[in-house]
Amino acid sequence: MQFGIFSVGDITTDPTTGHTPTDASRLQDILTIAQHAEAVGLDVFAMGEHHNPPFFPSSPVAINSFLAARTERIILSTATTLITTNDPVRLAEDYATLQHLSGGRMDLTLGRGNTGPVYPWFGEDIRQGIPLALEKYALLRRLWREDVVDWEGEFRTPLQGFTATPRPLDGTPPFVWHGSIRSPEIAEQAAFYGDGFFSNHIFWPASHTQKMVAFYRQRFEHYGHGRADQAIVGLGGQVFMRKNSQDAVREFRPYFDNAPVYGHGPSLEDFTSQTPLTVGSPQEVIDKTLGFRNYVGDYQRQLFLMDHAGLPLKTVLEQLDLLGEEVVPVLRREFAKGRAADIPDAPTHRSLAAASASAPVLVDSEVK
Amino acid sequence: MTARKLVVVSAGLSQPSSTRMLGDRLADATVARLREHGAEVEVTTVELRDVASDIMNNMLTGFASPKLEAVIDAVTGADGLIAVTPIFTTSYSGLFKSFFDILDNRSLTDMPVLIGATAGTARHSLALDYAIRPMFTYLHAVVVPTSVFAASEDWGSGADTVKTLPDRIDRAAGELVPLVIASERSTSVRDPFGFDAALSLIGG
Repeated sequence: MQFGIFSVGDITTDPTTGHTPTDASRLQDILTIAQHAEAVGLDVFAMGEHHNPPFFPSSPVAINSFLAARTERIILSTATTLITTNDPVRLAEDYATLQHLSGGRMDLTLGRGNTGPVYPWFGEDIRQGIPLALEKYALLRRLWREDVVDWEGEFRTPLQGFTATPRPLDGTPPFVWHGSIRSPEIAEQAAFYGDGFFSNHIFWPASHTQKMVAFYRQRFEHYGHGRADQAIVGLGGQVFMRKNSQDAVREFRPYFDNAPVYGHGPSLEDFTSQTPLTVGSPQEVIDKTLGFRNYVGDYQRQLFLMDHAGLPLKTVLEQLDLLGEEVVPVLRREFAKGRAADIPDAPTHRSLAAASASAPVLVDSEVK
Repeated sequence: MTARKLVVVSAGLSQPSSTRMLGDRLADATVARLREHGAEVEVTTVELRDVASDIMNNMLTGFASPKLEAVIDAVTGADGLIAVTPIFTTSYSGLFKSFFDILDNRSLTDMPVLIGATAGTARHSLALDYAIRPMFTYLHAVVVPTSVFAASEDWGSGADTVKTLPDRIDRAAGELVPLVIASERSTSVRDPFGFDAALSLIGG
């Protein structure tokens, strides 16, 4: 099972100091955070994509390319890559390039984006969000799997005799997760292709995630990719920890109360009881996170949101230390207990390339 | 026939509330007529004040608390809805509108609705037809032709003696009842994963 962090990339005033970071400082900080995530033993770093302030990461592929050169082991992913407003040709090219630069140490999570004006800024219409996601992903897949593509659709200039370069590393397309909070169509899409399904999970009640994941699993089996319990599931999570539970609550409360997503709404206590947010000791985080398995089954990837709501860099790095040293080792051990041997791990470049090499298809290059 | 589910949503704020009183009268008249048709009926009355902060939290976070979720399920799963609001500043109260704003905009499609409103004077009565009726029309609900407005004077001296409040209530209830009887809303199973017919995974 993989553990990691994902970042929305928000620029939020620290409510305790009034300090607002610049784009420049947040961008540098996220590079530090990602490298620290690797240093404390996490498996995945995932960067968001936004095209409006107060968010700085408009190009997660550029950030991840830089990180590919500065890291050794961590998988560089996204949270999410916008499938609706990006050109699938550009996505095929950019992410295949990242795949080569990182030696296959990457994957991506596709999302639609829910910021209305972003769609028209890129010439699209939010009311077409689902059809856009379906058509553009169908093309993206072909661009990675077919050397020469003839294509015609509704949302892009037709292609005749087009070859996306570079070709995927080892002839193995990047693994794709599909992220959605509330659209079953996207769970259906992930199941149809046998891709991963990432449920953002945070901000919403567990009962909702449970239904979406159960639906994805059932459809994954329906489409013949394996048993329902073998579907590839990722979950978000959100935690703030201190050794002492009361210290965590006291320190995090002003950030919670003023946070962009839920600030000035429900109380910290209500929100933690109704959603996966955990504010407390490392043991409380362990207990709540282990509980996720009770309603989604054995799953493959757990990402935590750590750097948001104006938390200073120093605090975020301390959180990563706690996560890497005290929480994740226990989670690895406990999640492994009772997990059937035929429950797959999240696919990696290595596993996918090995699988395609053992399949009756000629693959020249050596598996890394 | 299984018991018909009737829900009253009242956005009245005071205790006691004339808006709630109007809602109760409309419900009583509807229940009486349903029983004349041999229908069993379960009435659920929702005071939006009881979930006021949950409604605002839902607006801010995008999801309903368990308490509000139960209210939403009751309202959207009913065979008939009686919706009553005080008129504030020429229109429905903000609490009333906020509740309908957080519902999935498909969840009241085909819902039989009787609308009512209260205010200090009858000069606000058209708010029912220029504000409240269009809101339900937008939601594709079926609003009965008679809406019931009760000004303060309707409860005592100065009330209209030709078309009295009880007359108007009875007429509106009479219009709602056949729609409630015909409704299959409370017994139909809603598929939370139902797709639009246009969904094509091949992507065009």
